[in-house]
Amino acid sequence: MSAMLLNKEKWPEFVGKLAGKKIVAPQADGDAMHFAPVAEGEAPALDYNNTRVPPKGALFPQTETMLKFQAGGEQVEEPVLDQETVVLGLRPCDARAMAIVEKLFKWDIDDPYYVRRRELTTLVGLACTEPGMNCFCPSVGGGPASTEGLDLLMVDLGENYLLEAVTEKGETLLTEIKELLEEADDDAGKEKDKLVAEAEQKIKRKVDTEGVPEGLPGLWEDPLWQKVSASCLGCGTCTYLCPTCHCFDIQDETEGFAARRCRMWDSCMFEEYTLHTSGHNPRPTRKERTRNRINHKYSYYVDKFDVIACVGCGRCTNLCPVNIDIIETLRQVNEAL
Amino acid sequence: MDLEQLRKTAAEVASREDVKYLVGWKPGTYGYRVAPAFIENADGAAELIFSPLCTANLATYLTLVEELPVPRGQEPDDRKIALMVKGCDSRAVTQLLVEKGIERDEVVIIGCPCPGMIDDCLLAEKYPETEEPAEVKWDGEDFLLIRGGEETKVARDEVLAEKCRLCRYPNPVVSDITLGEEVETWELGEDQGVKEIEGKGVDERAEYWAEQFDKCVRCYSCRNVCPLCYCQDCILDRLNPTWVNRSVNFSENTAFNIARAFHLAGRCIECGECERVCPANIPLGKLNRKLAREVRDKYGFEPGVDPDAEPFQASFKPDDPEDFIL
Repeated sequence: MSAMLLNKEKWPEFVGKLAGKKIVAPQADGDAMHFAPVAEGEAPALDYNNTRVPPKGALFPQTETMLKFQAGGEQVEEPVLDQETVVLGLRPCDARAMAIVEKLFKWDIDDPYYVRRRELTTLVGLACTEPGMNCFCPSVGGGPASTEGLDLLMVDLGENYLLEAVTEKGETLLTEIKELLEEADDDAGKEKDKLVAEAEQKIKRKVDTEGVPEGLPGLWEDPLWQKVSASCLGCGTCTYLCPTCHCFDIQDETEGFAARRCRMWDSCMFEEYTLHTSGHNPRPTRKERTRNRINHKYSYYVDKFDVIACVGCGRCTNLCPVNIDIIETLRQVNEAL
Repeated sequence: MDLEQLRKTAAEVASREDVKYLVGWKPGTYGYRVAPAFIENADGAAELIFSPLCTANLATYLTLVEELPVPRGQEPDDRKIALMVKGCDSRAVTQLLVEKGIERDEVVIIGCPCPGMIDDCLLAEKYPETEEPAEVKWDGEDFLLIRGGEETKVARDEVLAEKCRLCRYPNPVVSDITLGEEVETWELGEDQGVKEIEGKGVDERAEYWAEQFDKCVRCYSCRNVCPLCYCQDCILDRLNPTWVNRSVNFSENTAFNIARAFHLAGRCIECGECERVCPANIPLGKLNRKLAREVRDKYGFEPGVDPDAEPFQASFKPDDPEDFIL
């Protein structure tokens, strides 16, 4: 099915057609937006810039219960993943992040949780028309209407949404709702191109990644890391709110006689992240931890998977309590190269 | 405040032989951000500022110092840290002195009398932030926003930070050097946040906080930014035994937030940093100010104003009211 148009008046019907599946979409929470399950019969509004916490939890929950057991019991209960889910209105950068992270979760072994969730999930993205002030997706290979990682892309054309299927899953979804749709004409395509070009124009901040992945290891002892990390508080804001950060820890937890094995987001900015049982820590201070964060995204990941593990969403920069700005950090990296 | 005087004083302090570095504020990289600056010599002082955007409490950097083991044959670097403080920040320093978290001769305190700070979120609501770093100045009672060559007057009431509306100590309570003139205290607003909490019934209150703690992502930015959360071995990081599970759910999030609030009762100096940095927008200020008010009303104790005070949680008075003990 080629590009289709959905009149915005039919948006609630579109959402209604998804009944039976879990719908996750951006929702207002005071003055901030976050992704959350949509109550039955409601149609989420999509006019927002971007959420503070990325939707990565839809595929990689902050806490994933791997198994449950009872003290003294012999049964181990494994949760069954069978909930079909549709994520509505995620931004192209966040979808691209999912595609980038999937390379790791499908690398030496298929991670059963991530891969299964991705199978069960349809990602319906919304192109950006109003990028944020710290967005820099074009600098790292993305764009306001990038389709990488998405199953279906929607573009807000005012009265209508333009719908373009990216994968078979997207095609299937379009077929399921075809009576709500109209064939899009050339004008719609032109309007989309115009909006995307305008959005790109609005992205003011840039990073120069030329030579960075190869050059970073040579800056291991450079004073820039001390300078960049001097004010770091060592909190998990930049990593937890990063759509590509995917480090996790696995712990057994008990509550009374009930126990569970969980895997949960971890942060390389935490002190105990690489703490050895012996007490030795190969990354003893925030300097080493900051250096690792930048190297992981801009060098190690490129080495292994041929793609920068940063999508330019700007969240780490927007929300760092002490103004550690990844764009400025990369400018300093370039200066040192 | 005269910036020339500030930079001159900072340059003198930063070049002192017994000072390792000076922590102050410098312009941020975009919009309304201001960044902490670490100044090691006289030249570095040229980038320092003191403006209505210097909301951050830098006292946290006194206890956030990471010290690696000193290699054999080398002496530890025992030089002082110089710190620029506003009134609220100086209360954090005072409380650290009371608790012996730091010693008085380890710091050089440069006091900046503070006419009130801006809540950058309120400012951004009215005047959206742009990529260009903006400058803001005090302008009589109000503020002056300068960006793109344009000056805009911003009314004080519209953007004054909540902690400043409630501030009783705009002048540093402890300092070695004070920059500029003392400012006059202003008429206090009512603490709407605490009033709102107190107006709720028990169930309603529980429901309110359940909703708030549910949003917590456990990034611990509130803990790390807090100048008075400085335990070397935090209960939240312990794995054996695990006091608070790492799982992010309502129960564990509540345990974390309540543990932190109680550990700060009678110690929180109401600088509002926890609420400012929370990426989940949890109104932590309300919680901490409520506890501060309880301690003030019930025990007549206010942290961070008297360096010779006994720590509240470690002292006992025979006439302490015991009306809540069953």
